[in-house]
Amino acid sequence: MEATNDHDSWKHWLEAHGPKLLLCARQWTRSFADAEDVVQEAFVRYWRHQRHLPGDPQALLVTSIRRAALDHARRQARRVAREEKADGGLEEREFAFEPAGEDSDRRREIEAAMQRLPAGQREVLVLKIWNELTFEQIGETLEIPPNTAASRYRYALAALRKELNPACHG
Amino acid sequence: MDESLQELENELKTLTPRRASTRWLHQVNRELAAELPASARPRYASATNLNSWKWLGWRTAGLAAVLALLAAVGTSLRRTEPGPAAPVNTAVAVKPAPAISPAATYQPVTATNVLYDLKDEGLVKVAGDNPARQIRARYVDTYTWKNPRNNASIRWTMPRDEIRVVPASYNPN
Repeated sequence: MEATNDHDSWKHWLEAHGPKLLLCARQWTRSFADAEDVVQEAFVRYWRHQRHLPGDPQALLVTSIRRAALDHARRQARRVAREEKADGGLEEREFAFEPAGEDSDRRREIEAAMQRLPAGQREVLVLKIWNELTFEQIGETLEIPPNTAASRYRYALAALRKELNPACHG
Repeated sequence: MDESLQELENELKTLTPRRASTRWLHQVNRELAAELPASARPRYASATNLNSWKWLGWRTAGLAAVLALLAAVGTSLRRTEPGPAAPVNTAVAVKPAPAISPAATYQPVTATNVLYDLKDEGLVKVAGDNPARQIRARYVDTYTWKNPRNNASIRWTMPRDEIRVVPASYNPN
């Protein structure tokens, strides 16, 4: 991320990491447009105050995004707590993955299964798989013990395996 | 983690989050560009370079303001010069005074300066070969005159560079 201190290279960094951050933000927002607003706000905040800090920028940004998402939700009065998202509005969510050729049915199946996961498990899954955070970093971000993060991750995978076509993952 | 979970994990890793839209990237680009320190922004010719085309605008504005002021002062002086002596007759209705030129009543109302760039230009040597730091501050000064009769105003805005040389010393103790 040191490279993002340079005017010309931060754009490349954002192009490379933006999709992961948007997917992450999408866990805590109601729409992709909200996720874009939240990542933009968090990234500007990071740029303004934290870009010189040592440490993994990805983890810092994810924490910043989560806070921005919670602020956003409060401002919008759409959610009073992140946990409430787990029970409501999941049908209106959609995960934003790149179409992968002939496997689009499988992709949709996975997305649908992920949407049915409890929010706590889904956010850990997204942070672990697509944002490549460690359980310790996930724990710091979500303010939970790392062991809890690891457990939620395993539960999420187990639940997905159960939901998905047993012929593939039986 | 058992093998089937591992297999599922690997499959999930093959899914790629959708690319960020160009519109969004441009939007963030614009916002971050505004956050960049002045030193990282694209360089422009120094405002103190008198050959800069920007000075054409400043010169024109300055010249207009000075002309307006001269006109105001001139009109004011003409009005205060004593005229030829005339018999005083308070009983006679006084002929209404001719309309005063609005320029005659412009008064200074505000003077502001805005610091928009502060740059440490590093070490320099001053008299006696003493080290000092040179700090350049860039301001925009704005002066406003207002005519209370018709609320017309003249605003004069000028760029200004201020260079401060601060003696620097090093004391290892």
